[in-house]
Amino acid sequence: MMKRRAAALTLAVSMAAGLWGCGGGGSASTAETAPEVEVPTEPFGDTIKYDPSVPINDGKDITVELWEWGSDELFQQIIDGYTAMHPNVTIKLVNNPWEDYWTKLPLALDGQNGPAIFNVHNSYHENMINYMAPLEIPLEDLEADFTGVEAHVIDGNVYYIDYGMMTGSVYYNKEMWEAAGLTDADIPKTWDEMREVAKKLTIRDGDRLIQAGLNFNDDFHQNYLLGLNYQLGENLFLEDGRTPNVTSDAMKQIMQMLVDMYQVDGIGSADFGEKSSDSFGQGQSAMVIQWGHYYNTLNTTWTDIDFGVFEIPTFDGEPYAYNRYNGESTFGINKNAPADQQAVAQDFVKYFLANDDAQIAFNLAMSTFPAKKSLADNPEIMANPSLSVLAEHIDHYIWPGPMPSTMETSLKKAGEDIFYNGVDIDTALNAAQQEIIRDMQSSTFTSVEDLYKYAQ
Amino acid sequence: MKRKISSIGLNVFLLVLGLVTVYPFIWMLSSSFKQNKEIMALEQHLLPQQFIIENYINMNAHFNFIRFFGNSLLITLVTTVLVLYTSTICGFVLSKYKFKGRDLLFGFVLSTMMIPWCVTIIPKYSMIQAFGWMDSYAALIIPAAFSGFGIFMMKQHIASIPDEIIEAARIDGANEFYIFHKIIFPMAKNGISSIAIFQFLWAWEDYLWPYLVINSQEKQLLAVGLKMFNGQYSTDYGALFAATTISIIPVLIIYLFFQKRFIAGIAASAVKG
Amino acid sequence: MFKKSYPLQSKSEILLRNIVVAVMVVFFSVFLIAPIVIAFAGSFHEWNPLSGTYRFLGLENYKNVFTSQLFGTSMINTVIFSVVVIIFRVGLGLGIACAINSVLIKHKSFFRAVYYMPVVTPMVAVAFVWKFMYNPQIGVINQILGTSINWLKDPNLALPAVIVMTIWKDFGYAVVMYMAGLYSLPMDVMEAAKVDGASSWQNFRYITLPLLKPMTLFVVITSIISYIQAYVQILIMTEGGPGTATYLASYIIYDEAFVKYNFGYASALSFVLFVITAVFTWLSFRVSGTES
Repeated sequence: MMKRRAAALTLAVSMAAGLWGCGGGGSASTAETAPEVEVPTEPFGDTIKYDPSVPINDGKDITVELWEWGSDELFQQIIDGYTAMHPNVTIKLVNNPWEDYWTKLPLALDGQNGPAIFNVHNSYHENMINYMAPLEIPLEDLEADFTGVEAHVIDGNVYYIDYGMMTGSVYYNKEMWEAAGLTDADIPKTWDEMREVAKKLTIRDGDRLIQAGLNFNDDFHQNYLLGLNYQLGENLFLEDGRTPNVTSDAMKQIMQMLVDMYQVDGIGSADFGEKSSDSFGQGQSAMVIQWGHYYNTLNTTWTDIDFGVFEIPTFDGEPYAYNRYNGESTFGINKNAPADQQAVAQDFVKYFLANDDAQIAFNLAMSTFPAKKSLADNPEIMANPSLSVLAEHIDHYIWPGPMPSTMETSLKKAGEDIFYNGVDIDTALNAAQQEIIRDMQSSTFTSVEDLYKYAQ
Repeated sequence: MKRKISSIGLNVFLLVLGLVTVYPFIWMLSSSFKQNKEIMALEQHLLPQQFIIENYINMNAHFNFIRFFGNSLLITLVTTVLVLYTSTICGFVLSKYKFKGRDLLFGFVLSTMMIPWCVTIIPKYSMIQAFGWMDSYAALIIPAAFSGFGIFMMKQHIASIPDEIIEAARIDGANEFYIFHKIIFPMAKNGISSIAIFQFLWAWEDYLWPYLVINSQEKQLLAVGLKMFNGQYSTDYGALFAATTISIIPVLIIYLFFQKRFIAGIAASAVKG
Repeated sequence: MFKKSYPLQSKSEILLRNIVVAVMVVFFSVFLIAPIVIAFAGSFHEWNPLSGTYRFLGLENYKNVFTSQLFGTSMINTVIFSVVVIIFRVGLGLGIACAINSVLIKHKSFFRAVYYMPVVTPMVAVAFVWKFMYNPQIGVINQILGTSINWLKDPNLALPAVIVMTIWKDFGYAVVMYMAGLYSLPMDVMEAAKVDGASSWQNFRYITLPLLKPMTLFVVITSIISYIQAYVQILIMTEGGPGTATYLASYIIYDEAFVKYNFGYASALSFVLFVITAVFTWLSFRVSGTES
């Protein structure tokens, strides 16, 4: 659930930010004051080339629908860029509410009312994939331009890839940092250092907590349990790719560390600041670990907080992987759509992949690290601190595949049982393991952790 | 004297309870004029410290508010009127006529209310699709024309109308259609008013079904539009509270209108008495 | 029993009856019973209509329902939740309706409007507002009490906290229903009782209350049906937590259907819940003695 809400929020934020090929200076009313669309005439792109001079649908008029959720302005920009080259094509943008989009879309794709192009989130992979047409771009070309493509190959076909990677980093409150007498030199590299810094950032009045050094309430499962295991060299799934590995020693060690942070170090409390993301914004907690979307939340909702970002600490400085990441997906193509509409859809996706401006705009809007290799050191991307801290080790982040939501919900339950209901760690994690196994019986998910670049 | 004291006591009690009842509501209304950072701020004030109306203005930026509002009003009124009529006539037949299978039929009606919508909504969708009603108002109006709740309510209500009145009309030679439309229907107006209040509310708020079956933006309903807005800003409390405030105004108006019917009802009974 | 045991019926009565019954049967069969039958068939399958999965499982879904520990605890929560909310809804609804109706109150329409406000406010918004009010640091409830209790994360307080919110939201419904009932009471009976010198308590206990019995039955049964299916407040305020402390059976159904997409299992749960609801409803009819 967390992941899904987070994505919805991010898209929401992207709208307000109105980012399109500029460093965030755009205003919300770009619709009226949009700069003139430059119409390219020469082919552009890296390996995947887009040639604007090739007519679409033989130059005859055609209308296709594009469904997405929550970022109509971002999508309208890319549609405008496309239709400027191909005036005979009309793309009708349909905005949808996030949650129930995932009910309506597969039902519509199954019938006659489905859109030719639709925005995809990989957490709903299983419900979408049966209705999607494979991309016509050769696999080698995709692999040449983008990272992480191989994880999306199904029987030799690719239906969608990631245009960006999102993961977690530490956000800290600069005012509190200074008030505690800390400097840039104190930025922690290891969890031990992190805990020491957090102690300095904690303020108490007798027994009462005034300011938490670190807060992980409500999202510890997303930001710690499902990611730090990789730092200790453990995958989330066993070798068969199906059996969850949440009772591993690594998982127990992480859970114990979280408990100790609150109960031994006293750098926060399970009853202080019910959501870590809000608590940081309220100026109640000095540090939180959040995924990339949080950068946009801070810039739109919590505008009073002066914050910095640093890379997630490790246990020993040489992790197997720093953290888990999740991809933001490219658009899906409806395999049941009429052939001429599908051809437009294929062309539209190709345009999106070849167009660096669009890639940068989508990645900045989502605060994701570009999957397009040529953009890894792009200055506009590097200007976003939540992305620049990832640059050095971005190849050391791992994607387990589109995990079923039970991985998150079951571990959240386990953590709450430990923090609030007095259950011991072993019992809680065992219960989570059993629940995940049961929920995954009907799932076709198989982990792609073995495709990680540094897989052992 | 004693009467005066108990009058004051009762008034004070109702007032305090009323205060508790409206407080969360006022908090929501006030928050709809706040920025999110103020809604969640550690320093809480009931009134906005920085008064903003963007939460309301932004709504119209994402969909045609007036259009959606009009569509909603139309659909809600049509289904409410239909349900009022069908509920009253079914309630009349089920409470005043004796026939084999009557209790069974009523049991069926009730039992259809006991299955959670989660598991029936998709089969219902497939059926509507098979009927070719997708993206048409038939899909919204026809399946909603009968209400188990309404039938049950009117059955209970009409049962309290004495049989003698019906018998007397029959002896006067009135046929059953006349009896229903000219005698029962007017006598059941208190019951009808109370279903009207709730049926209007439910139809007005219904969101998922219209969202699933209506595709054209020109035909879409307000509840869907407001949710669209919420979906984008899923933790945008200010926008959520503003959307909620806007959407309940018509329902309150309907309520106040039917309240008058209640009062008219008492007046009529008093005159009769 | 072939002989007609009912009093003589006129032609128009039979005609009206036949039309209404026929239309009802057709309508309910098509729009309500048919989807239920499809869902019932689905309860014997591994069923995800969104991805197109449909595989026969036999009774396995039902076996899983009855062996699920979570379903057991959630059923206990559901019963506690429903019983407490219904008692308060009926009690408060009746009490307040009578109070407003009494001659001692002048501004009747003012109070009616006030108590009705929570009813018209969508549950989603209300649940968010109350979540704020229960916040351990900034919530108004802790501010008034001078405490910093984490209401929604305490396994002993979370369910009561959700119950209080639900009572607040819903008692106005019963007020409206009882007002309609009270206004329909035959005035002559009430006046006669007054003339006979009955005290107002006697009046209430022996005349008003029995006359309101059909309305009470209605409120209780519709409440049973709706509370056994209530889940929105759980979804927003606690997500069933802390741990599984506030799981309601209906929340599992929602979660299985629209989060995990196990529509088959969700259907099996629904039909088990249906039987339980039907039994409680039947019992209510029996207790009230108005079944015949």
